[in-house]
Parts: sequence; structure tokens; C-alpha cells
Amino acid sequence: MLNRLIPAVDELPPAGHMGLIDEIVRLSGQQARFQGIFESAVNTFTTENTDFSSRSGSEQDDAIQQFESGHPELFNSILTISYIVYYKDDRVHKRLGWSGKTPQPDGNEMEPWDDSVLDAMRTRKPFWRRVE
Amino acid sequence: MTNKNTSTDGTVDVLVIGAGASGGAATAWLAEAGFNVKCLEQGYWQDPSKYASASKDYEFEMLTNWAPDPNKRQRDEDYPVNDSNSPVTPVMFNGVGGSTILWTAHTPRFHPSDFRVKTLDGVADDWPITYEELEEFYDLNDEIMGCSGINGDPANPPRSPRQMPPLPLGKDGRKLISGFEKLGWHWWPSDSYINSQRYGEGRDACNFCGHNHMGCYQRAKSSTDLTYWPRALRSGATIETGARVRRITIDESGRATGADYIDSKGNEQHQSAHAVIMAANGIGTPRLLLNSTSDAHPTGLSNSSGLVGKNLMFHPFAMISGTFPEKMKTWQGPLGNIAMSQEFYETDKSRGFVRGYTYQFQRSLGPAWIANGGFRNAVPWGEGHHEELEKRLGSVMAMAVIGEDLPEEHNTVDLDPELTDSDGIPAPRLNYTLSKNSRDQLDHAIGNAKKALEAAGASDIFVDPMMRQSGWHLMGTARMGDDPSSSVVDKWGQAHDVDNLFIVDGSVFVTGAAVNPTPTIQALALRTADYIVSNRQDLKG
Repeated sequence: MLNRLIPAVDELPPAGHMGLIDEIVRLSGQQARFQGIFESAVNTFTTENTDFSSRSGSEQDDAIQQFESGHPELFNSILTISYIVYYKDDRVHKRLGWSGKTPQPDGNEMEPWDDSVLDAMRTRKPFWRRVE
Repeated sequence: MTNKNTSTDGTVDVLVIGAGASGGAATAWLAEAGFNVKCLEQGYWQDPSKYASASKDYEFEMLTNWAPDPNKRQRDEDYPVNDSNSPVTPVMFNGVGGSTILWTAHTPRFHPSDFRVKTLDGVADDWPITYEELEEFYDLNDEIMGCSGINGDPANPPRSPRQMPPLPLGKDGRKLISGFEKLGWHWWPSDSYINSQRYGEGRDACNFCGHNHMGCYQRAKSSTDLTYWPRALRSGATIETGARVRRITIDESGRATGADYIDSKGNEQHQSAHAVIMAANGIGTPRLLLNSTSDAHPTGLSNSSGLVGKNLMFHPFAMISGTFPEKMKTWQGPLGNIAMSQEFYETDKSRGFVRGYTYQFQRSLGPAWIANGGFRNAVPWGEGHHEELEKRLGSVMAMAVIGEDLPEEHNTVDLDPELTDSDGIPAPRLNYTLSKNSRDQLDHAIGNAKKALEAAGASDIFVDPMMRQSGWHLMGTARMGDDPSSSVVDKWGQAHDVDNLFIVDGSVFVTGAAVNPTPTIQALALRTADYIVSNRQDLKG
């Protein structure tokens, strides 16, 4: 299923061939509520699609689309965690030119505030509504 | 820390329920004035060094353990909220600091006209107070929380200088603003309770990580655990965490005597007090009042008006995003603290609705957030996924519409007949429908947002006409007024029916304005506390 959700691009294989399953399982277990929905999603999809791996690509896509429309919350848990784990991967970061660092503790640098950006707005007359 | 004037039976002067935006403010003010104050908070202290923005799992944590919706977060200290009868889901955080832990700290003030909606526009009601009566408390709160911004906004009345200059706009912010300038529409840098410079005790300047909605690792974003609570504790106030209040207790005369609660070890406890202040937000406060029935208050504490839990107001949010042709590192800078527009704030009846709205400009974040949709639809899976993701990454900006909801009695918080929290306390149930006026307002805003985004150069406009996870602002459910038959508290936040019960959170709002409510909530809390200091020394033991 992962291969169909996130296909190959440039030098990267499809997601299902990137060894991400262990991380998906680990991460999904970090919260009981999410884990419950995710495991239910996997079980439901597997039960409804026992011959999934033997189908053609387009048949697999059809099966996923049916699951997506029939079980939106369950499907969404699979898609969400798949996207998160894929986009945590260093290989993906390298391809995108993404630093991959956590937001903290380094943060980012931005140009400081510049008063001159308000030059136009400062010419506008007050228009807040007076109250007697 | 030694309590002042502690009664031998442990009775305190004032018991505050909830340690968030308003509870922190009220507790500090009263403690500094010599009152013996105790706060009960069902959540816990947060350690900024443990906020998820420094975790390699931060993307997952954002959606789960640090989700703003308590029904998704499901921490032990969270209580469930039945939102099945509401198109808007609740957003709140239970802990010392309350929802200021997760807020984006976008902090505009009400306008003077927001206090006179009935007089000016013939709908809803007037507040029993004016902007001018609240102004000194707005100023005081700005000083304590620390406001980054700048004077001169033509959409707002003149006011005292901010403590710090505005946060940077960024290339992305300047791009979005260009659309407004082309159209000749108002914009102004956001007032934010985020440090643009070092300010406050041990609080650094923002380092623009982009994830201020997950708790601020730098302590740059203001939350009451970092501002009011240190002052409160230095002045002798105490706080008990992991303390879940079950009900407010009363005596035979119907006056409040304290609260029954479950402590962090699961034991039933009682805290006696000469006065009780409710600061549990616009859902938590009516829930507790409705759960505090007695012979003297058969329909809930201080509910002779029948209005506890009624007139629930959210700010209905629409979100309109566009994709720009250039890459702008949109993940840098506070998520929702760039600029705002109040071009369409004041009523213009030619538009076909009353009241108005604010645009709050929004950034977008990293690849996983983009892939999962952020403010719009998830990036499609399968063929075309990579192309679409790369198109959006660093290029999507959005505008949140904060529309003014009007109070309607059929929009309510009541007690769910079946759902309870883990201690068996009935959960709150939301019953809410969007009014035609609000829908027309949002549709007008959506149309104009598209124009502004296109004027700025965006394409691929995506509209969420009403965000489901948008119940950040919880207002109106124990409204303020002069007439006890049509309000729950008076102009000082004192309950009409119970003279030693006060409410200081957004429940007391008469109308909701079209701005983020927290500065107004905190100003009201300070004002109520100041009233107690000046007029209710009888509450001191």
C-alpha cells in the first residue's frame, strides 16, 4: 500500500521499499488513541483486501480509493502517519533540500522589523467606529 | 511558601478554579493585594524544555499528544467534550497556563464599538462596560504579558506604546501584504504576546521556529505560567495541580463555600473559601456551574436567569490559502503572527450582514505538515504527489477569517446525559449552529480573501468555508449584564445570585467581537480582581 501512496521519485524508491514500516509502527504507538485507530485501519484494510499484493497497480489504487471513501477516518490515519514518517527520512530531506532539523533549539533567522513598510498605511485616516 | 492569614481549618480567602489566562491574572492581582489565594488546576506545570518542537517526533506530536483538541489529545487531565452536535470542535489545554500554552498569542483588542452592538447595530446586547473602562487593564496586561506591536493603526483607537517592536514580517508576510496594499485595504502588523526582544523574567526573544502553537521552548511566547504565576507564587498564592473540581459547594443561604475536587492521587477533597472565582473557560465554567445544583440553585449555580451555558459563541473561522510562484521559507516565523487586516471590521449594512471580521495572516510549515494538508486538503497520494508537494512547500500562505458570532440562546453548553470524564463528572456537550449572519459574513470574507491573495500573486486558491477544528475562542456562556433576569454576572464579574462567586473567563462575554479574545479576557479578570481588592475586603479571613 505504501508504494501506491507515495510512489518513486528521482533516485528514491517508492515508500514501501524504503524500510519505513518499523518507524511507522513505533511512531503510531506513541499515543494510545492514534494507535487504536491505526491498527484498526490496517486490520480492516487487510481483511477487505486479502489479495492486495497480487493485484495490478491500477487495481491496487482502486482498492485504496474504495477504502478511502468507505472508511475516511481509518484511511486518514494510515495516510497521515505514512506522510509523517516519509518526510522524516534523511533521504527525502536530501532530495528536497530540506534541513530536517527540529524547529528547536536552533530556530531560524529573520530580517528584523522595518518601520518603512508602514509608510503607505500611515497615510490612512483613522476609520475605527466612534462610540458616543 | 507560607500562606498569608491561613485559617486554622485551611479556609482560604479566594479559591480560583483554573490556572489559565484569566485564572493566572486574577490570582496574581489578588495575592499581591494581600489576599490568601489558592488555585485548583486539573492539569500540570509544563516544562518548556520538553515541548515537542525539540523532539524528532514533533510532526506526530502536533497531531496527537500536543493536539489542541482535547478529544484527540486525551491526556489524563483532559475531559471529553461531546461535539457531535457542533460543526466546531473545542480547542483548549488543561495545565498551568491553560490554553495560553498552545495559543499563537495573536492579541488584538476589542474596538470601542464592540461594547455597543445593540446601540449601534440593533442586534445582540450592549456590554455594561465600555472600552474606556477596560483600557487601563488592557495596558496593565500588555505590560505583564509583554506585547510586540506598534502604534498608529488607523483601524484601532490610539493606545499606550507596546513594550516591544513588531515581529518581523518575513518575505512571505510582505508578499501577502502586497495584495492588500494593491487593493488599498487596511493591514497592520499583529499585536502579539511574543517577545521580539528579551522581555520578562528569563524570557528570550523569539527564534522564529514556526511552531509557537506547540508550546514555546524559548519562553518567548507569553503564557501565564511564565508571567502571572511567578508573581502570584512570590506573593503567597498556592496552586494545587492534578486537582479536578467536581462542584462548587454552597451553604444553606446559597453562598459559595468552596469546591469539592479529586486530587492528583484520586482522593476526594474539599477546599473551603470565602469566595470562589471561576476561570475554567467558556465550556469548563458553565459545566461546573451546571453540575453544582442544590435546593437553592436547582438548575445550576447562579442560574436564576436560565442563561448559564447559553449564548455560546465561537469565532467562526474560514481559512483561505493560496500558492505563490516563489519559494519564501514560509516555515520561518510565528505561525499566525504576521499581520492582520480589519478593512471589513466595522458594520456596513450594505454588505447584507451586521458586524464584521478580521483577517489573521498565516504561514505554512514543513513537508510533513504540507503533505497532510496544513490549512487545506492533504496533498493527493499516488501519481502527482511529489509534484504537488514541491509546488506547495515554502509557497503557501493563508488568511484566517475571524468573524463575529452573535449570541443566540439555542447555542449552548450543557451536561451530556451519558458521557463523563474519568472521574465520573458529566462531560460538557456543545450544541451549536452557525447563524445566517455569520455565514454571510464568512462568505463575504472568503470572496475578499481570494481577491487579496490573487492581488498578491497567489493562485490555486483553496477555501475551507468553516474550519472544524476552530473552537479556540469560547465565549458567552455566563454573560455579563446589569439585569439579573438576562445575565449571570454583573459588570464586575460578580454572580447576580451568589455575591461571593465571580467569573473571569470568556464565559462573561456579552458579544464576541471579531478578534482573538484573550487580552480582553485577561483585562476583565484584572478588573474583577481589582474590584474585589477595592470593595470586598470582607472576603479576607
